[in-house]
Amino acid sequence: MFYHISLEHEILLHPRYFGPQLLDTVKQKLYTEVEGTCTGKYGFVIAVTTIDSIGAGLIQPGQGFVVYPVKYKAIVFRPFKGEVLDAIVTQVNKVGMFAQIGPLSCFISHHSIPADMEFCPNVNPPCYKSKQEDNVIQEEDVIRLKIVGTRVDATGIFAIGTLMDDYLGLVTQ
Amino acid sequence: MADKTMPISVPSEKPVKVIKWKVKQGAFVLQGQILFLYNDSSGSNTDLKKYKATRAGTISSLKVKEGDIAEPGTVFAEIEACQHPTVMKEMCADCGADLRADDGPNRDVAVVPMVHSIPELKVSEELAQKLGRDDADRLLKDKKLVLLVDLDQTLVHTTNDNIPPNLKGVLHFFLRGPGGPGRWCHTRLRPRTKEFLESAAKNYELHVCTFGARQYAHAIADLLDPEKKFFSHRILSRDECFDARTKAANLKALFPCGDNMVCIIDDREDVWRHAANLIHVRPYSFFQSTGDINAPPPLPEEKSKLSGKNGALVSNTNQMPTLDEEPDQKEIEKEKSKEIKASDEKTVPETSEKESVKEDEQPSEDERIEEAAEPRWIETPDGQIEVEDPDDYLIYLEDILKRIHKHFYDRYEQTKSNIPDLKVIIPEVKSKVLAGASLVFSGLVPTHQRLETSRAYQVARSLGAEVTQDYTQNTTHLVAVRAGTAKVNASRRSNRASKLHVVTPEWLWTCAERWERVDERLYPLQRTGQSSSRRPPAHCSSPPPAPPPAALRRRTPSGRFMDTLNPLLSFSSDDIADMDREVEDIFNESDESSSDEESKNRGDDLDDEENPPEDRLISVENEDTEDRLLDTKDDVSSESDLDGEPRPRKRPRPSTPPSDDEPPDDDDSSWNLMGAALEREFLAQD
Repeated sequence: MFYHISLEHEILLHPRYFGPQLLDTVKQKLYTEVEGTCTGKYGFVIAVTTIDSIGAGLIQPGQGFVVYPVKYKAIVFRPFKGEVLDAIVTQVNKVGMFAQIGPLSCFISHHSIPADMEFCPNVNPPCYKSKQEDNVIQEEDVIRLKIVGTRVDATGIFAIGTLMDDYLGLVTQ
Repeated sequence: MADKTMPISVPSEKPVKVIKWKVKQGAFVLQGQILFLYNDSSGSNTDLKKYKATRAGTISSLKVKEGDIAEPGTVFAEIEACQHPTVMKEMCADCGADLRADDGPNRDVAVVPMVHSIPELKVSEELAQKLGRDDADRLLKDKKLVLLVDLDQTLVHTTNDNIPPNLKGVLHFFLRGPGGPGRWCHTRLRPRTKEFLESAAKNYELHVCTFGARQYAHAIADLLDPEKKFFSHRILSRDECFDARTKAANLKALFPCGDNMVCIIDDREDVWRHAANLIHVRPYSFFQSTGDINAPPPLPEEKSKLSGKNGALVSNTNQMPTLDEEPDQKEIEKEKSKEIKASDEKTVPETSEKESVKEDEQPSEDERIEEAAEPRWIETPDGQIEVEDPDDYLIYLEDILKRIHKHFYDRYEQTKSNIPDLKVIIPEVKSKVLAGASLVFSGLVPTHQRLETSRAYQVARSLGAEVTQDYTQNTTHLVAVRAGTAKVNASRRSNRASKLHVVTPEWLWTCAERWERVDERLYPLQRTGQSSSRRPPAHCSSPPPAPPPAALRRRTPSGRFMDTLNPLLSFSSDDIADMDREVEDIFNESDESSSDEESKNRGDDLDDEENPPEDRLISVENEDTEDRLLDTKDDVSSESDLDGEPRPRKRPRPSTPPSDDEPPDDDDSSWNLMGAALEREFLAQD
C-alpha cells in the first residue's frame, strides 16, 4: 500500500559545502540518501514530494561536520499481508516463481499456484501452463497476486504471495 | 506434533448452527481465512458470525453439514497444519508463516536448496524427492541426460590481467565488486563452444557448475547463452556451493533422487571427489600467465593426492611402498626432479606487472602438449590481433557425450524398468575405446614398480585395453618410451612385427584424452630420441579401478607454508652442487651412449632398459630452473621468513634414500594452487 507520510532524516554535511548553495546541497543530499531505501517500519521510500523544513544545523564538536534535521514528505510503499498487487514475473522454476512488485521481490510457491497449472521446463523460457494451454505464465508476464507473508529485515522486505484466490493470476492487457 | 490434524470447534456456550461452509474438503486455507458462517441456534439472534481459521493448513475432513446444529465442544472439521515444505528466507512459502517466530518442530523440515541460484529457497526432503522424480521422468521422456558444465578452463578462459584491447575473439566485461570498484574480466571462449553447447543441448539438460562468484557465473552464462536456451536459470556458483572446495556436496541437493543421470565435464577431478561420472577434460588455457582465476583452495586432506593444478590424481604408485623397491633406488627422485621443472614464464604481451603474483600454471606434465597447442599472436593489418588457437578438444568431447547418451538410452531401452546409472555407463563407454587391444609397455613403468600400480596401466585399463608384462600371442601394441629397449628390439625381430603397432606413450595419452582409438601411424616410435612423457598428462584421468587401500597411502605430514609454496626453494647448496655434478656426468655419458645407441647388446640388460636414462633429461631441466628460481625467490622470501623455520630439505638428492611419504606431485600442485589463491586475494583487495 502507498502512503504519503511525513518523515525525518538527519543530513550530515561536510564543511566544504558551506556557502550560498548550502540548502540546495542539503536537499540534494536528502534525495540521494532516502529515495530508494527501505525501512522495516515504513517500507520502501519511493519519492520525496516536499521538504517541509530544514532545521538549524548543529556543528559536530571536533569534526566540523554539520547535522541538519530535515522534515519531509514522501511516498512510501509498504506491503501488507493480504494485500493484492500486480507484479512482473522474473523467474520461473520447478519450486515456484519469483515476481517483482517495483522494489519488492515476491516468491509464489508451486503449492500456491492453481493446481491445474503445471511447470513446463522444456519450453524457453520455462513457464507454468494450464492443461488446456489457455493460461500460461512465464517470465516478464504481469500477474496479480495476494501477499500471504512478509519478511521485514532492516534493509529490505521480501514477500510470499499466492495465486490461489479469485481473480488472481495472469493479468491480460 | 505427532498428530498433525487438529480439530476445529467453536468457542461458544450455546449450540450453534452452521449456515454455510466457505471451504471444501481438501482445500488449503490460510490463517484468518473464513471457514464457515454460523449463528446462534436458539434463533433469537440471527446475526451471521464468521469462523476464521486459526492457523494455515489443509482441511482434511468436514464433520458437520450445513444446517446442522452443533452442541458446544463439537468438532466441526479437522485441519492438517501446514508442514512448511517450501521455505523462502525462513518464511513458509505456502502459508506465509514466519518460521523465525515459530519454534515448533516444523522449523527444520525444509532443508534442501533445490534451485541453483537461490540458496535461500529450500524445500523439504519429501518435496525434493518428488520434484527430483518428476525431473527424472521428464528427462527419460525427452531422452535427455543431465550435464554439469564447468566454466573456467573447460569452456572459457578468463583473465584479470591487462591484455591488449584488440584481441580477436576475446570478450570483455566489468564486474562490480561488492563495495569495491570491481574488476575487468577478459574471457576467451574455447573454440567451437557455441557449436558444442548447441549439440550437447540436444541430448543433455545443461547446468553450469562453477567456482566463480555468482555475478561472474551469470555474466559468463550470458556470454555463452544470451537467449538463455541452454542453461536457463540452472547456474550454480561459488555463492551457492556448500563447500568451498568441492562441488560434489551440492549434487545431493540438486538431484535428490540420485545422480545416476548426471554427467559432469570439468577440468578438475578433485572438486568432484573423483566421481566416476566425470569426464575429465583437457584444461583450456589461452592467456598463458593466468590459470583458473576461480580455482578453489586445495583440500587440506587431499593435498597429497593432487598433482598439477588441474588436480588429477597423482599416480598412487609413488605413494605406495612397492615390494621390490631398493633403498638406493634413484627412480623416485628422478621422477620428482622432473616434476619440479618449472614452466616457462611466458607473459602475455603488454601484461602489466601489477598482478605481481604470477603463477606458472602449466603442470610440467602438460607442458609438452600445451606447448604444441600454444596460441600464436599475430597482428593483422586492421589492428586486430588474430590469435591462432588450435584447441579442438570440444570436437572430441562432443563425440564422447553423444556416445554416452546413446549407450545410456540403448541400455534403458533394453531394460525399461530400471534406470541405468551413468556412474557405470561412463566407465563402460570409456572401456570400449581400446577394447581388444593388448598392450605391452616398454620403458614406461619403472622396474621397481609393479605394473598394476602404474598410472599408465590404469589409464590403459580404463580404456579397456589389456596390459601384459611381456609379449604374448595377442599383443597388439607396444608402447615404448624410446627405441632400442629390449622389448622394442624383440618386437622388430618377432615374426608378427607387421601386425604389431609400435607407438609412443603419446598415443595412449591421446586415446585417453579423446576417448577414441587414435590412428597408431600418427605416433610412430622414432628410432632416435626419446619420448618425454612417461606419465600421462594430468587430465588423462582414469577412474581409479581399484583404489589402493587408504592405509597404504601416506600423506605429507608437513603443513609448512614453505613447502607449499615452492619446493625448489628448499634446495640446499649441496643439492645444487649435486645437480651440477649430475649434469656434467651426463654430458660425458651422452657421448658414449649415443654411439652405442643402436648396438644390440644393450638389449640384453633388460632391467637397465626398463629404466631409460631419464636423469639425463631431468638434470638438464633442473639446471634450467635454477635461474628462474632465483627470480621467484624475491616474491616469496618474505612469506618464507614468516615461517621461522629453517628451509627444509624437501628434496634429498639421490644419495639419500628416497622418502616415500612425499608424493612427487604434491609440491607442484600446491604451488600452483597457492599461487591461484594469492592471486585471488590480490584481486579481492582492489
